[in-house]
Amino acid sequence: MHLRFRLILPLAAAMTVIMAYPLVFSAWISFHDYRLTRLQDVRFRGVENYAFILSDAPFGRALVNTMTFVAGAVSIELVLGLGLALLLQRLVRFQNFARAVLLAPMFITPIAVGLMFRFLLNSELGVIPYYLATIGVEIAWFDERLALFSLMLIDAWQWTPFMLLMFLAGLEALPKDPFEAARVDGASAWITFWNLTLPLLRPVILVALIIRALDAFKVFEYVWAITRGGPGDATETILFHIYKTGFRFFRLGEAAAMAYVLIGILMFLVIVLYTAMRRR
Amino acid sequence: MRTQKWLATALFAGAASAMVSGSSLAGSLNIIIEEVPDYDVVRVLTEKFAAENPGIEVTFDAMPFDAMRDKILTSALASSATYNVIIVDNPWMEEFAKAGFLTPLDDFIAADSGYDFEDFVGPLRDIGVVEGSTYGVPYYNYALGLIVRQDIFDEQGIAVPTTLDDYVDVVKKLTNDDFYGAAMQPQKGYKVMEEWKNWLYATGGELFNADGDITINSPEAVKALEMYIDAFNTSAPEGSVNWGFDEALRAVASGRAATMLSYNWMLPALNAKGGMSGDLAGKFTLNEVPGGKAVLGSWSWSIPANVDDKDEAWKYISWITSKAVAKDRVIAGGAPVRTSIISDPEVWEKGFGEDYYKTLLGILEDAAPLSSGTSAEELIDIVGTELSAAVSGQKSVQQALDDAAKGVERAR
Repeated sequence: MHLRFRLILPLAAAMTVIMAYPLVFSAWISFHDYRLTRLQDVRFRGVENYAFILSDAPFGRALVNTMTFVAGAVSIELVLGLGLALLLQRLVRFQNFARAVLLAPMFITPIAVGLMFRFLLNSELGVIPYYLATIGVEIAWFDERLALFSLMLIDAWQWTPFMLLMFLAGLEALPKDPFEAARVDGASAWITFWNLTLPLLRPVILVALIIRALDAFKVFEYVWAITRGGPGDATETILFHIYKTGFRFFRLGEAAAMAYVLIGILMFLVIVLYTAMRRR
Repeated sequence: MRTQKWLATALFAGAASAMVSGSSLAGSLNIIIEEVPDYDVVRVLTEKFAAENPGIEVTFDAMPFDAMRDKILTSALASSATYNVIIVDNPWMEEFAKAGFLTPLDDFIAADSGYDFEDFVGPLRDIGVVEGSTYGVPYYNYALGLIVRQDIFDEQGIAVPTTLDDYVDVVKKLTNDDFYGAAMQPQKGYKVMEEWKNWLYATGGELFNADGDITINSPEAVKALEMYIDAFNTSAPEGSVNWGFDEALRAVASGRAATMLSYNWMLPALNAKGGMSGDLAGKFTLNEVPGGKAVLGSWSWSIPANVDDKDEAWKYISWITSKAVAKDRVIAGGAPVRTSIISDPEVWEKGFGEDYYKTLLGILEDAAPLSSGTSAEELIDIVGTELSAAVSGQKSVQQALDDAAKGVERAR
């Protein structure tokens, strides 16, 4: 065997064990009635698991919830992140300090953020509803209409800093010449932003969007810590649904099939965004 | 030289096998247990067991509820158990027993003279019985009762309601601007299911009929859910659609609500001087739930099927559930499961008084488990999700219950 193949062998072996085997095994599981409490009676089901989940209302609802969550949370983060980055770029003094403070939420474990907001926003115990009530505002943050939106806000609180970081780096790397030329031509701040900053920043925005969207699809901790998918199924997200099916009800066959559907959707999303990024 | 080498190998092999077999080593008991006040009592009592049995080392692996199901499952699927003694929540009993995870205890019970298994309250005992074999021995109960602010009922000359119709009328009557008749728990999943099922019993409904057919969308169930939603909309605190145990308890303890359906052993905590309810301590009473038949929850002690030394595991279970230790446990604040203990005047005196224990026995004797069958855990989630959807107005009552029936049918 050629040396270069031999050199790659350890990595190939490690990847097979760590990645390929679980993937193939979970694909196999997804075609079976595989329950952890009935391992002596695993039955082949063909595409039945897939057919079922695609027609299953709770799965559909979880999918819609997750997409709404991703779209909402990532949009908020994009707008806020870009706004803050533009402001921070102009900050002359205390820039490093402001940056450090603004980045802090990103370094907290999501489950802790979930628990924190569960109590901050709790209608009985929460500090936020308490002070809102003193100015006459009463908001039920986790009722059936607002719960998903509240989760988006929490996600935005934690992950806007990530967008900020990306955009700040992007802004600082932009060429200076076009901006100077625009200023000489007397372009207004808005026109400069719209016609120069945004188009030049496009690759960075798309990369940030892909990373954040993929990450937001995996939302689990806030749901687990705060709503457990409720009220009703208003905040049941896809990963929470998969977790419940697989590890609370032990129906690994269906859970694996759901995971594969999720992978399919994510692949599609990545391809669409990636194509958008390469089109200039 | 050769002998030395042989000896070294033997020692190494011995050490290695000891390491592999880990906690199932003879002389050590590893117990998985939920981290709740009842565990604190058990832990302290167990020191006595350790003193009486110096050959057995007992270690507890205490954890929150959410972590237990996965851990028990992985231990059960391993070739040798991580835990020699486990506690099993009632919805898991049939599922685990039929999966072959648990050891039948009938022979141990029969051989244990003076154990008096019949002394455990009937409905609690039955939870551990699957297809005629006993797989679990009751640890503690969490049956539901109606906890009321007796002072308010006395003041207004209202009797504590015993039927559901009366209950709904009374909680409506007690509600005014910032005081509510009932602190309810419509939180999705377990909580709403646990509360609403008492209402279902009160209207004469059940999840399944005697033939095992699903009756979750029966007229009785529709009536129970309609009444539940009516009471929630008229008499429960605003914005409480996601409330669970903690929020409801807080509302009652802080004097914002007059009644709640909750675990019977919350009464002593509410009435404790200097406790959570401040000046209201002593003003609460425990009553049977409206309609009389209550939802029963319980934990049971079990021995996993893949435990090597089952005698040792039984020795501990037998000891901790024996009459003598059970009495100490209840006096120390544990939730009782034996009839003789609940009826013991010494327990009344040292515990929470005769009234409490008499009401408790009444509750326990007419109680039925929250859920049953091999998919009981999933059933609670399915029905509990639909109930929550109906209470929050996302679905009509009939639609929600029809969907619940459909989901349960599939999960079976």
